[in-house]
Amino acid sequence: MTALSGAAASPPAWSEPFEAAGRAGLGRAQPLALDRAATFGEADGAGVTIAIVDSGVEAGHAAVGGRLVASVRVEIDEGRIRILDDDGRDVVGHGTACAGIVHALAPAADLVSVRVLGPDNRAHGLAFAAAVEWVIGQGIGIANLSLSSRRESLFAAFHDLADQAYFANTLLVGAANNLPGPSYPSLFAAVVSVAAHDVPDPWTWFYNPRPPVEFGAWGVDVPVAWRDGGRIVATGNSFAAPHITGLAALLRSRYTGAMPFDIKAMLAATANHGGPA
Amino acid sequence: MSAAEDATGPVERVLAAIAGRAEIAQRLEPPALDRLLRSIVQATVELFDAEAASIALLRPDGRLRFRVAAGPHGQGVIGLSVAVGEGIAGYVQQTGQPLALSDVSSDPRFGRDTAARTGYMPRSVLAVPLELEDQVIGVLEVLDKRGGAFDLADLARAAVFARQAAVAIDVVRVDRAVARLLADSLAALAGEAGAEISPEEAEAIIASSGAVAGKPRSDTGDADFWTFVDRLARLRSADPAHAALVADLLEVAVGHLPGRAAGHASSGRSWRDRVTAEELGE
Repeated sequence: MTALSGAAASPPAWSEPFEAAGRAGLGRAQPLALDRAATFGEADGAGVTIAIVDSGVEAGHAAVGGRLVASVRVEIDEGRIRILDDDGRDVVGHGTACAGIVHALAPAADLVSVRVLGPDNRAHGLAFAAAVEWVIGQGIGIANLSLSSRRESLFAAFHDLADQAYFANTLLVGAANNLPGPSYPSLFAAVVSVAAHDVPDPWTWFYNPRPPVEFGAWGVDVPVAWRDGGRIVATGNSFAAPHITGLAALLRSRYTGAMPFDIKAMLAATANHGGPA
Repeated sequence: MSAAEDATGPVERVLAAIAGRAEIAQRLEPPALDRLLRSIVQATVELFDAEAASIALLRPDGRLRFRVAAGPHGQGVIGLSVAVGEGIAGYVQQTGQPLALSDVSSDPRFGRDTAARTGYMPRSVLAVPLELEDQVIGVLEVLDKRGGAFDLADLARAAVFARQAAVAIDVVRVDRAVARLLADSLAALAGEAGAEISPEEAEAIIASSGAVAGKPRSDTGDADFWTFVDRLARLRSADPAHAALVADLLEVAVGHLPGRAAGHASSGRSWRDRVTAEELGE
């Protein structure tokens, strides 16, 4: 955590670099010069599978566009972790919200729901880790993780999983915790970490070269899908991450040989300029 | 390091630990907690220039109860309780995630009933969890910032206040832990004296702690108990020999307490029940 600032002595929100006042500090000498329109071309996410590790995805929700191809859930039964087939439902609405954001950006991508959150929107840390491991094992290209664990005891497990994902070419996109403090796996360098900004545009994103959070995407007052065919307006890093996931899916569909570092580099190179150009 | 902490025997170490905690606990009686929490919500209202701010705490009955509030529209909420999962505070309690809503009335997740009961219907709400380690112990809410919608920096600021409140509550929990530690250590002392002791007997011993403190137990409160704790607290500055002597005396006292027998008979709620039911001395 950086130094305290101002009379209120509040620590900076992790979204602070992406707020209007902070964005001027995001400038850097770009090692890659990429034109955004040329880089993304007409990509639509075709051929890419995205795992939504969350509260489930409502298969029939209009916002998901019928792209949900599989649903599983992680259960912990007397210490044993099991991955079971799940029906396409969402016990909260949170996963459907994420899926809807991804689908809006990458309409031709397939979605796989991996349910770890319960009706109280909480997950067992081990179930979360097992979900990520399963996604890697399935060879799924991108995982949207709009959740994180603050359990220090899971540091090593998630660190190992982040490395496994990196080398297995599964891009992990993780929302930073909404309150400042360590959370995993979003803090690891192999993960694309995302916090929220308040520019109401899915195609506005920022790159922050200074940790802990690398990317800023729209996450304030975002109109999102919710359970039972509903819609709400929601705020949080949870809704910023799927924007980056959707963009990553476009890049993955266009550059089929891309590795996680390629995608991250392209996302950084095509990000909006933070400060005066 | 105080002299008492130099004591090396297990009994002395337990006593030293009790004494240290008791000293802290005495300074944080429940009224002090309320004052502290009130000052936190007051500061929150002023910083955000908000219509209201409140803190709700999770009670042992599983409901969330609004404990303190500040601001022109805050007072109606005090004493109100909601189920976990109910309303905005209930949602934050349940999920452990902060929530910022620009337009409460248009969000299908939250019924208007709770707000209606307070007599004030907010337009925008910021709610952050009060967390201790992995547990959510309550919720800090800020209603209607006059300068516009809540932003993400507001969320981080509110989290600082929530953290302060959680720490204050944690200290008072230490206060309650003193009572528990005392019970456990007395039980251990009795055990070392060669007697097998059940949890019920341990409670009976505590019920008689007034006798240990040299006063009869009153039916009306914890005064005797706290007198006892007070005396233990003084052990903190005692030399090891003194602490050891007190330990020996306690050992003997525990072995001969009438309360060990009488405690069972004295019906009514034990201190454990009372501590739980009062929930931080409310």
